[in-house]
Amino acid sequence: MGEHRASLTVPVEGMTCASCVSHVEGALRQLPGVSDVAVNLAMGKASLVIEDDRTGLADVRQAISDVGYGVPEAEATLDVRGMTCASCVSHVEGALKGLRGVEGASVNLGLGTARVRYIPGAVTMGQMRRAVRDAGYEAQERSAGADALDRERQARQQEIRRQGRNLAIAAAIGMLVMTGTFYDMLGPLQAVVPVWLSYKWVLGLLTAPIVLGPGRQFFAHAWRGLKHGVTDMNLLYATGIGAAFGIAVINTAFPTAGFGGEGATFFESAALLTAFIVLGRWLEALTRGRTSESIRKLMKLQPKIARVLRDGTEEEIPADEVEVGDLVLVRPGESVPVDGLVRQGYSAVDESMLTGESLPVEKKVDDAVIGGTINRSGAFHFEATRVGKDTALAQIIKLVEDAQASKAPIQKLADWVAGHFILGVHMLAIVVFVFWFFFGYRMFFDPQSGFILSPYRLGDIGVFGFSLLLSVTVLVISCPCAVGLATPSAMMAGAGKGAENGVLFKGAEAIENTSKLQTIVFDKTGTLTKGEPSVTEVVALAEGHRAADSDNAGGDRKEFLLRLAGITEKNSEHPLGEAIVLAAREHGLPLTEPESFMSIPGRGVEARVDGLALLLGNRRLMAEHAVDLGGLQAEAERLEADGKTAMFIAVDGRAAGLIAVADTLKDHSREAIERLHQLGLEIVMITGDNRRTAEAIARQVGIDVVLAEVLPQDKAEQVKKLQAQGKKVAMVGDGVNDAPALAQADVGMAIGSGTDVAKETGHVILIKDDLRDVVTALEVGRATMGKVKQNLFWAFGYNMLGIPIAAGLLYPLSRVIVSPELAAAMMALSSVSVTLNTLLLRRFEPSSDRKRRGTRGVGRWLGRLSPANAGAK
Amino acid sequence: MDDEKSDGDLARRSARVYAPLALGAGALFYLAAGWTGDLGPVARLGGSVWVAILSLIVSMPLVTARFKRRSRR
Repeated sequence: MGEHRASLTVPVEGMTCASCVSHVEGALRQLPGVSDVAVNLAMGKASLVIEDDRTGLADVRQAISDVGYGVPEAEATLDVRGMTCASCVSHVEGALKGLRGVEGASVNLGLGTARVRYIPGAVTMGQMRRAVRDAGYEAQERSAGADALDRERQARQQEIRRQGRNLAIAAAIGMLVMTGTFYDMLGPLQAVVPVWLSYKWVLGLLTAPIVLGPGRQFFAHAWRGLKHGVTDMNLLYATGIGAAFGIAVINTAFPTAGFGGEGATFFESAALLTAFIVLGRWLEALTRGRTSESIRKLMKLQPKIARVLRDGTEEEIPADEVEVGDLVLVRPGESVPVDGLVRQGYSAVDESMLTGESLPVEKKVDDAVIGGTINRSGAFHFEATRVGKDTALAQIIKLVEDAQASKAPIQKLADWVAGHFILGVHMLAIVVFVFWFFFGYRMFFDPQSGFILSPYRLGDIGVFGFSLLLSVTVLVISCPCAVGLATPSAMMAGAGKGAENGVLFKGAEAIENTSKLQTIVFDKTGTLTKGEPSVTEVVALAEGHRAADSDNAGGDRKEFLLRLAGITEKNSEHPLGEAIVLAAREHGLPLTEPESFMSIPGRGVEARVDGLALLLGNRRLMAEHAVDLGGLQAEAERLEADGKTAMFIAVDGRAAGLIAVADTLKDHSREAIERLHQLGLEIVMITGDNRRTAEAIARQVGIDVVLAEVLPQDKAEQVKKLQAQGKKVAMVGDGVNDAPALAQADVGMAIGSGTDVAKETGHVILIKDDLRDVVTALEVGRATMGKVKQNLFWAFGYNMLGIPIAAGLLYPLSRVIVSPELAAAMMALSSVSVTLNTLLLRRFEPSSDRKRRGTRGVGRWLGRLSPANAGAK
Repeated sequence: MDDEKSDGDLARRSARVYAPLALGAGALFYLAAGWTGDLGPVARLGGSVWVAILSLIVSMPLVTARFKRRSRR
């Protein structure tokens, strides 16, 4: 096969017959440089040989789609080990994207994963693994759920152990090297330290195992990367350690060679440099996994074992082997293994993770149960309806994982900087070396000058030694790790924190956008209000009708009217009618069948009940039947001003009273709006209702901007208008009915989705039907972005300050320079401090939780679970 | 097998570019250091080796990546 020829196999979608085969083959043969085309209908694949320089995979895909077929994509997640900084991210992404057949790759440094979109057949998992390995890392395909969790934990613990061992070696021997180096300053301690420890060749012998042992990993990774055209943090370490050790060896072996002699041996630099870098790696391994603790907690909730009834016998099987339709038995204290419907028994289940309800929820026949929740009291059987990756818990875990693996827009700059950082620093190291070699040394060098935080004097170090020292320090002090970790670590913690509180962000972008919101648009019905109209008042005229007086002597005139209205509306499907029937039933009123019933669209109903002619409806209905409303008019206007709908009742042609029906506010609407106002947001209510009703509801809840009489299909347009004013807008609504508006908004928040989160539209999903979670989403978003900004400020600030100081910028004035070992310590602390700062987010608590302390949200639920009962049954 | 072969070929072709570049930078440094007149031969040699190493580190990934991109096209 020629240099530019490659064989290719791509899957083809949509082929049904032999003519499809010839269409696809014909289309492919027409491409330049394509030969040996063979399309297999049964396998749905096309094999061909292409000349790389004439036709690419994109051309092949285009040719297939031009004739009406498709080339499907698949997605895989790889666990990538060995990534330490953001430049690693771009290397791994670059390596994967460079493969023919890979359509996209997104690497998450914090999680240590690479999500790859690829064309099956055009590239194999083995090729992906090899590409990642060639770039200097290790990769393997990620397994799902608990396996992935176990594997990730194992890998992390292995890394902690490995770096811990390296650290123990480097630190112990490094201390000996330090002691030997500063032997002259030990004073009385010289009596217990043998003098030979200060001999240069002994120091060299002690340092060698550090450089070649714990330090070997940096050289190996750096070389592997360089061979494939990539540079990462390991290269900085390797250059720094290598230069310090190399010069020390030369000055020890050939003290008269002119490199500074024995006064410029840097064995302790090489030893401590390695020890500090390894310390940084160890601390990173310790802390990094903790930012994804929330996902681990969620995964722990997945029950491992289920007890199913098959052929009348009870079998214990792995929970992921439960099939839809299986009858599952749950005993008190056990976890519900999958989602389903209760078929037998009665119990109370703790499902506070989804509802926030602290008290266990009663479960009887036909009630839904959710996998991962805990059965508190009785035993029951349920029929599995959703299993495996379709369960509510699996969907939630998937959403959180996706969010943690995605990249926020703010990360792009950090990624770019970190990706170019290493080369930039090496270029700077050349510039620094050249400057001090040719100009700086002769202009500013003072033999009495020394290192920061060190009694060591530079003494008779020569021009080369001095310039090299500064050049190496620049390499060592620079830390792209901190820049690379700043955003993803905070995003991971933020997405997890949201999930703990019942707020699911569908990506890092959603978190970032949520933090920037200025205006929040609430849908009225079903969001601010319960969405179920209910009777709020019944007004009965004192002289309504003789029947009322005779039948209810001493009784309740209002109940009489409500009963008549209930009977009238008994067969109605109108929401207002249903509200009246419900109210009548709640009052225990007997609802017989009406003698006659006629619905008059846009007006109301006309019926005959107990021999009485009844009219129930609006003013127009009354006017058309010449009913004098008299004193009811003022009452109706008062009720309407409060956002209620007044329905008049006339009996035998005379006004008898009215019934007010209104949609009532949800329990926490007012509190949520108040807190959003306190956070400085503009709150808008959008509804299809008439303005008077809308404004009344808005007054009750404390909203000052009302968009009334907006048809459902126009809600998105209204959101667009607000965005055109330059505002960052969130739309809060029902994930199904308000889908277009949710999609149009910068942040669409679907509220009260319950368990079927995968179907929800919107960028943020609020599992509970509690408006205070809008506030929580905002607080989580702001806290997360606050952390991102702090981390980026620290990471960039550290490098922008540290690098010039290491380059000797202050030396002409201060006469001190940063030693390579101090630079290494600062570098290690820099990346660890970013992770530690992110971990502070674990302490975050939404303001609503501070008020309702103790009972609500996944976090509270998770917190109450002991590992023992969180695991399996 | 083909992939490995072409990788090796790519590495060799890249080395033919970055190695002379790095050595050239080192040589240039040596000449410049000599031109100043007051720097000893060891400092000049050590400096040029260090500059060559750093130049190699800078040019190696740039050149290799460029060759890789070109071979993909």
